[in-house]
Amino acid sequence: MSYFIQVVVDGLSNGAIYAAIALAIVLVYRATGLINFAQGGMAVTATFVAYALTQAGVPVLLALVAAVVLGFALGALLERGVMRHFEGGDPDTAVVATIALLVVLSGLSAFFFGYEPHPFPSLFPNRTIGVLGVFVSLRSIGTITVLIVVMVALQLLFRSTKLGLAMRAVADNPQSSALSGLPVSRLLMIGWGLAAALGAIAGVLVAPQLFISPGMLDFVLVYALASAILGGLDSPVGAVVAAAFIGVVENLAGAYLDFIGDDLKIAVPFIAVIVILVVRPQGLFGRKVTVRV
Amino acid sequence: MATTPTSTARAASTSRSGSTSRWRGIAFVGVLAVALVVAPLVSSPYVNYQLSSIAVFAVAILGLNIVMGYTGQVSLGQSAFLGLGAYIAAYGILHGWPGPLTLLLCAVVPAVVGMLVALAAARLRGLALAMITLALPIVGVPLARRFDDFTGGSQGQVVSWLRAPESTGLANDQWRYYVVVLIAVVAFVLARNLVRGRIGRSFAIVKENEAVALSMGVSPYRTKVLAFTIASLLGGVSGFMYLAIVQYTSPETLVFATSINLVAAMVIGGSASIIGTALGAVYYVLVPVLAGQVNSSRTALISGAVLLAVLFLLPAGLVSLPRRLARLRSSTRRPHPSAPPTTSDEATHRASAPSATTDQHS
Repeated sequence: MSYFIQVVVDGLSNGAIYAAIALAIVLVYRATGLINFAQGGMAVTATFVAYALTQAGVPVLLALVAAVVLGFALGALLERGVMRHFEGGDPDTAVVATIALLVVLSGLSAFFFGYEPHPFPSLFPNRTIGVLGVFVSLRSIGTITVLIVVMVALQLLFRSTKLGLAMRAVADNPQSSALSGLPVSRLLMIGWGLAAALGAIAGVLVAPQLFISPGMLDFVLVYALASAILGGLDSPVGAVVAAAFIGVVENLAGAYLDFIGDDLKIAVPFIAVIVILVVRPQGLFGRKVTVRV
Repeated sequence: MATTPTSTARAASTSRSGSTSRWRGIAFVGVLAVALVVAPLVSSPYVNYQLSSIAVFAVAILGLNIVMGYTGQVSLGQSAFLGLGAYIAAYGILHGWPGPLTLLLCAVVPAVVGMLVALAAARLRGLALAMITLALPIVGVPLARRFDDFTGGSQGQVVSWLRAPESTGLANDQWRYYVVVLIAVVAFVLARNLVRGRIGRSFAIVKENEAVALSMGVSPYRTKVLAFTIASLLGGVSGFMYLAIVQYTSPETLVFATSINLVAAMVIGGSASIIGTALGAVYYVLVPVLAGQVNSSRTALISGAVLLAVLFLLPAGLVSLPRRLARLRSSTRRPHPSAPPTTSDEATHRASAPSATTDQHS
């Protein structure tokens, strides 16, 4: 039983990372209707900033704050400088532009830091604590806590601030928002900035475990995409629940089903996602879109 | 309304340019055919290998373009079919099956797999569809590692086949070039006829508006399944061609990144365009090679920058370059174009832009 809980908690902590990137993907999708493949690249770039700072002797927490601020600036800059050009055009072209950004960003990280993975100092002490006879790593608990805090903050931002209301309005109908005097383009920049800042948090949280390298989040991006789509792309809560589901199912399958093992465990959540989507195409929490002729 | 002189003149010029462009087209095909035949005889094995790679990925991108460019259905899983085809080819060769039978199986098995996936997935649209196709390479890679009796596991399968027959007097690389280019040319001619015919029109109407398609008696579901099946078939065939020139396959062949790069190459070349498909394949193969020659440790940075630059300058893909140049030339020749000849072109662009957005929201 204690082993079971440990597996579940580890799964949840993986899921927390997927959820952070998935939230960022949902954020951009809601603002612009695009799947942002550059999400992982932006997160890694911001994490490398934190890495450089910690190498220079800055405490991890301070480096995290700096990475979040710089990540925000990077996201806003990329929206203004690159993605703005593709808005209103062919969506396929815009998505490929985000792929191009991904390639450029990881190329840039490799330019400065090389492709080999570097160790990254952990925000949380590398210890386990006993809770009700179960040993759980502090890192897992810390990751999950940070994510919950971020999620609540995002929810508050969207539900109880004017800025959040304006962002929701832009996501819902850019034309009407512009006509009611909302600064649509600035709000889009903020949306991208927030997404990149979220990515920075996820990157710093996961880097001690994965070791930092330009391709660190490539795999996480795939899980995050799966979570975002499974949760319904317009639902932040859905994305988090789906990410937790994927993290836990993957870990349980790897731990308990012998013929699955460590190598095939990734297949289990994906097959589950396929089955769920075929039954419920709009995702677990997504709104059903009625097509008008 | 009476025909204005300008419109008659324009109509006349269109018909004239129509016939010249026809002759130009024939001349182009002739020159291309000669170039394709002569190229391997005068090139180094290295160049032949790159040219053959272009043919291989052209067929993979062709399949992707049929499902994504022509039918408007996102597919992030083309590399899975490429890998499946390569594994089937490797299995067939190691078990001594005849080449044509192997090629046939490399086409049929991925097509059946693709059809089965599409039967479930074609009910979905947009992102749900993207998710299911994305899962194919993600699940495919560990499966390929696991079933090592069939795939050789992580080490992959090395084969040695398709040596040039003595009688031809060709080197192996030249012989393989001819084999893959022949397959690619056949695939391109068939695909061109397909997209220009009745089925191609049903693809286009499904991409444009499924409700309209339905009202015209075209089943969107069946059309999408068909497009996916054809895309998977071409993916499998490209896997056969891949094994023919690389002589090796491993789980790396079907990684998700390859699918993403194929999508990028398709958009770079030109969505819903046969010539664009070929240009996309040239891009796919050559840009990393050239970037690597400029600076081998900066390959990713340079390819990404090139990709971004092409998207900025030619959002409709490389295939729109001549049109773009013509427009630039005409605008520099006449500083004040009161009636630019490109107006109708722009109008169609504008008309198609909103429909693309509706497509995405539906």
